[in-house]
Amino acid sequence: MVMGAAGSKLEKALGDQFPEGERYFGLENFGNTCYCNSVLQALYFCVPFREQLLEYYANNKNMGDAEENLLTCLADLFTQISSQKKKTGVIAPKRFVQRVKKQNEIFRSYMHQDAHEFLNFLLNELVDILEKESNATKTSPEASSSKKLANSPNHNLPNGTHKEPRVTWVHTTFQGILTNETRCLRCETVTARDETFFDLSLDIEQNTSITSCLKNFSSTETLNAEDKFFCDKCCSLQEAQKRMKIKKPPNILVIHLKRFKYIEQLGRYKKLLYRVVFPLELKLSNTISNADSEYSLFAVVIHVGGGPNHGHYVSIVKSHNHWLFFDDENVEMIDESAVQTFFGSAQEYSSNTDHGYILFYESTGGRS
Amino acid sequence: MAASSSAANSQSPALKTYFKTPEGRYKLLYEKSHPAAVPHHSHGRTVSQLTVAYLKEKPPNQNSAAPSTSSSSGGVRSAAARLLGAGNGSRALSFVGGNGASRGVSGSSRIGGPAGASAGSSCSQITANYDGKGTYLIFNAADTLFISDLNSHDKDPIKSIHFSNSNPVCHAFDPEAKDGHDLLIGLHSGDVYLVSLRQQLQDPGRKLVASQHFNKEGVINNSRCTCLAWVPERDGTFVAGHADGNLYVYEKSKDGTADCSFPVIKDPTQFTVAHVKSSKSNPIARWHICQGSINSISFSTVGTYLATVGRDGYLRVFDFSKEQLIFGGKSYYGALLCCAWSPDGKYLLTGGEDDLVQVWSMEERKTVAWGEGHNSWVSGVAFDSYWSAPNSDESGESVMYRFGSVGQDTQLLLWDLVMDEIVVPLRYHPPGGSPTYSSGSHSAHWENNNIIPAGTLQPSPSMRDVPKLSPVVAHRVHVEPLSGLSITNESVVTICREGHIKIWVRPGHGESNRSNSSSDLAVSSSAVSKDRVVTSSLSSSSIKGSSSSSKQHSTVLFS
Ligand SMILES: [Zn+2]
Repeated sequence: MVMGAAGSKLEKALGDQFPEGERYFGLENFGNTCYCNSVLQALYFCVPFREQLLEYYANNKNMGDAEENLLTCLADLFTQISSQKKKTGVIAPKRFVQRVKKQNEIFRSYMHQDAHEFLNFLLNELVDILEKESNATKTSPEASSSKKLANSPNHNLPNGTHKEPRVTWVHTTFQGILTNETRCLRCETVTARDETFFDLSLDIEQNTSITSCLKNFSSTETLNAEDKFFCDKCCSLQEAQKRMKIKKPPNILVIHLKRFKYIEQLGRYKKLLYRVVFPLELKLSNTISNADSEYSLFAVVIHVGGGPNHGHYVSIVKSHNHWLFFDDENVEMIDESAVQTFFGSAQEYSSNTDHGYILFYESTGGRS
Repeated sequence: MAASSSAANSQSPALKTYFKTPEGRYKLLYEKSHPAAVPHHSHGRTVSQLTVAYLKEKPPNQNSAAPSTSSSSGGVRSAAARLLGAGNGSRALSFVGGNGASRGVSGSSRIGGPAGASAGSSCSQITANYDGKGTYLIFNAADTLFISDLNSHDKDPIKSIHFSNSNPVCHAFDPEAKDGHDLLIGLHSGDVYLVSLRQQLQDPGRKLVASQHFNKEGVINNSRCTCLAWVPERDGTFVAGHADGNLYVYEKSKDGTADCSFPVIKDPTQFTVAHVKSSKSNPIARWHICQGSINSISFSTVGTYLATVGRDGYLRVFDFSKEQLIFGGKSYYGALLCCAWSPDGKYLLTGGEDDLVQVWSMEERKTVAWGEGHNSWVSGVAFDSYWSAPNSDESGESVMYRFGSVGQDTQLLLWDLVMDEIVVPLRYHPPGGSPTYSSGSHSAHWENNNIIPAGTLQPSPSMRDVPKLSPVVAHRVHVEPLSGLSITNESVVTICREGHIKIWVRPGHGESNRSNSSSDLAVSSSAVSKDRVVTSSLSSSSIKGSSSSSKQHSTVLFS
């Protein structure tokens, strides 16, 4: 088998440094499902997510003929990977992909799909399922204890609101809170509105850094002309200043680079090939508390190709201080310095079309 | 559920050929490039770096015999040949010291760093004719090392040296080399070559000639040689930094081929120095500095201190002869990519992946200011050692530094740093009393005024605790991300990753190529010093002991 050969090559490359208990498996492509595979690898190597999903599986496996859903399919897939006897190889995520296509017609076609849309869809689906289960547990207290996982007390938000929205482990892993502060320029009243997010979608510019994109994201924007703000105090549309700050930084910070931009003159989407550098370490300084929350890069979903409607997705992942390259079935070890080959192109036209598209940073706790 | 930011602008306006500073306009004088037909990246992608080499011309009376270097295949142009002098026995040719401005340079384009002590005297040595200056630009692109004449308007290099096995990645030049073996070249394979620049210029071929070869085929260390530097005031001693966190000390008088081995590094997180037993072999010592790559090194002017920056985000300052860590400190986040000393050895600059230019004080052993202005990683920093502060008499003892930085945002930024003891140090006001830092408390090591103990690595301070600088000038100089800059007495030289160079001549120099460089600064200086946020730092001891006493300094910063 081709896969066996590839596996042994990776094992050879890692040698006795192969991490204890870790599995590196490629994922088979079922016709343009690389958008799915690349995101799955990033999520698999998102350790807190994987651990909670495996725990969920362990707690639910005895339920036997429980109804299949996207969560059970994903838990099943991750368990399948982590319990492989071999250290490397290839797995076919068939049941999971079928479930995705059943659930959402967008992903049913064999067309090229957007990995970010898929990630969004997946996380929101998981949340829905977990919330439903949690509701079911509440209404029937004698239900199996395993279902309480989603509702365990340590999974509450730090600044627990009174409405007490359901908080699942997907939330505790990915959710952050933004505060949108708007200051009316007439009466100076500041209106703050919180919104939650699973990822930050950033506008990008040529030859900039993620730090700079985040700064722009939080920079003050003036609302005027067509875009005035309705001030409750003035009871009218007013000019205002608006800015976004991070109220609660997430544990896993997912950054989506808006590389696919609708160009009005062209009447279609265009891929921005811009070079946007992203460091292996990052701090969010646009927080309300002014505390610097610290992050470390552990996965990147990469879009390969010159346009938005075709191309390929691969991912790079950091596991136990090694960087790995996942391209569907294929898994290779790469040097850390290879990460910079996915920054993008400094010039408009370039032969390099491998661009970092979704960045996954994990909190390293340090909040000075 | 994705939060989305509002659209921001985009397209690039045409690049301007000048930029304005308080003292006048810097104009684009020359551009240097290399033939576009660069082979594919067979040895991995390498970033172009820049070294300025001051090759002093021998006396004019020996300059008449034209060498027979007419081969066009070698890329040697007649303009180059003219000024090289005759004969191949370069050791016999005279090497007058040079003006010192590239001494101790890190080879990796952080040229401006230890810009020599001779800021004042150097101007007078320069003759009016560009041919006489002997100032060369050495830069690498893909598998080739190029040499251009800084002062000619020729865009093409006068010499290209091809490397067949591995790409050149860094270089360093020693204008003081007594034997003429002055140019170091570090390769991706880890190999290091030492040659005479003059001999290369005289040879018509495309190969390196008469080289000394160290770390042959990576026998001692097969990781990329990331940076090279000559040790100032120690003729023939140089150091080579590598991508695996090791730095080697070589003496060029010793053989590079003798067997030489170092003990296994037990704890890669610890700084260790190992010496070789044999007195004949090269390298003579290995310094294990950090985990991950050493990205840049820089010696203080007289070679007392060695600064290193690397992948782990730490700046480290060593006493070179004592082989001791003096202090270290962390970036805000991410790797540090470049470093440079102030000419007086009191301050250090670093730049890195947090988009910041950090100013470090030797006396205080910590960061004293963060320069905010780049929109991407900072790839080159340099003090302008030829710049004299305008109106320095007015405020008595104020000291002002000018420095520059370049980034992957394609911008060149110039900054002013003012040390002025008249200003009350606001940073030590009680929390709440400071207009600059009215919110939040200060972290412990900013409040106490003690010198940080020797040999310790400081964590990164919090964003709100560090005074911020803003640039005096921000100018987009290239279309590609920049990789380095060098500040000479007449110009600022910038290079991009692809190996295109621009020479920005100082105000008043123009195209005249005249050598009077002393006093056409000092134009609108008073405007610069207004409207600044003022902070300062108190220092009670001096590391070097000699020049700076226990005076109270303060830093005037831009808001
Ligand atoms: Zn209002």
